[in-house]
Amino acid sequence: MSTVAVIGSGVVGRRIARQLTASGFVDRLILGARRPQRMHGFVRQLVDVDIEVIAPGPLPAADVTVLAQPSGGHTELAEEAIGNGSHVVSLSDALNDVEGLLSLDSTAHKADRSVIVGAAFSPGLSCLLARHGGERFDRVEEVHVARMGTGGPSCQRQLHRARTQQALERRNGSWMKRPSGTGRELVWFPDPLGAKDCYRAALAEPVLLSASFPEAERITAKVAATRRDRLTAWLPMLRPPHKDGGPGAVRVEIRGVRDEIQTTEVIGAIDYPSAAAAAVAAIAAEWSLLGVLPSGSWSLGMLDDPLPWLQELENRGITAAVYEGLSNT
Amino acid sequence: MRALRRAILAMGVGTAVAAILRLRGSGGIPPRQGKWRQLSGPDFR
Repeated sequence: MSTVAVIGSGVVGRRIARQLTASGFVDRLILGARRPQRMHGFVRQLVDVDIEVIAPGPLPAADVTVLAQPSGGHTELAEEAIGNGSHVVSLSDALNDVEGLLSLDSTAHKADRSVIVGAAFSPGLSCLLARHGGERFDRVEEVHVARMGTGGPSCQRQLHRARTQQALERRNGSWMKRPSGTGRELVWFPDPLGAKDCYRAALAEPVLLSASFPEAERITAKVAATRRDRLTAWLPMLRPPHKDGGPGAVRVEIRGVRDEIQTTEVIGAIDYPSAAAAAVAAIAAEWSLLGVLPSGSWSLGMLDDPLPWLQELENRGITAAVYEGLSNT
Repeated sequence: MRALRRAILAMGVGTAVAAILRLRGSGGIPPRQGKWRQLSGPDFR
């Protein structure tokens, strides 16, 4: 009997629960919610699986634990889940969570469990696209990730915090801290979202992609922002966040050498970040249940072969796009 | 005095031109070449 615990029942957590219920791989689903009494209506929509709703407290015993609650404290929860003999799928995009989860590698190896870090939209889908695009190069010199849009309210709050924290960038083999809100760049996202100004923020992609592209001279991540976003970044959120911060997009620009020619490859995707994040996390949970994923702590950018993931995402309606026209320079 | 008048005139003309450009120009989005192509099955093999 396979049991999955989804901790966090916000916009993304609920979407994950729906996907897992529909997958047919899960017999029992445990939903962790801050206010379990508000989950009755949602639980009634989930059929064919045993559902249990729990309040915050010790993690339940499960084969896979999906951490879909707001950023912060994911490392401690992942340690607890590994102690329970559970695989872990984390959706956090906070730098401290990501760094902490990656440090659990030896613990996860010893327990023969996988800790999948940043299994969401960005990071997550962005890492898969970077990995896929990078495979076409003989040598990758630069990787630049840009994103726009957010998932649910917690994701928007985390992005609001990230706009004021120090951004981490990989430059010539070392880490550089740069102020958020700088580095303005006009980025063309897939149509119909089009061009948006993007700026530095404390995003996790450089940390998650550095292991896959050790030779890269530059790895950066930026996020779309309006003038109001930049002006109000230092203030508390002036109005409640939207229920869903989509539609959104992710764009990965890879520069390097292919067939001895300097080449630029641009790959991206457009979707509701909450939907894409849920699909990535659900796939990670399902494949963890099937035991086909490697043990240890890793991100989707560290996979040897990202194609099965991209194929499965395509089956679930999340498609990538490549920018054609100015590829070779 | 003559130089001062010329300087004021030059500044006025410059301000007028800048104001016209600022008000009429949208800034806009720079032109681009190429287009996005959706990746599908064959691209993932």
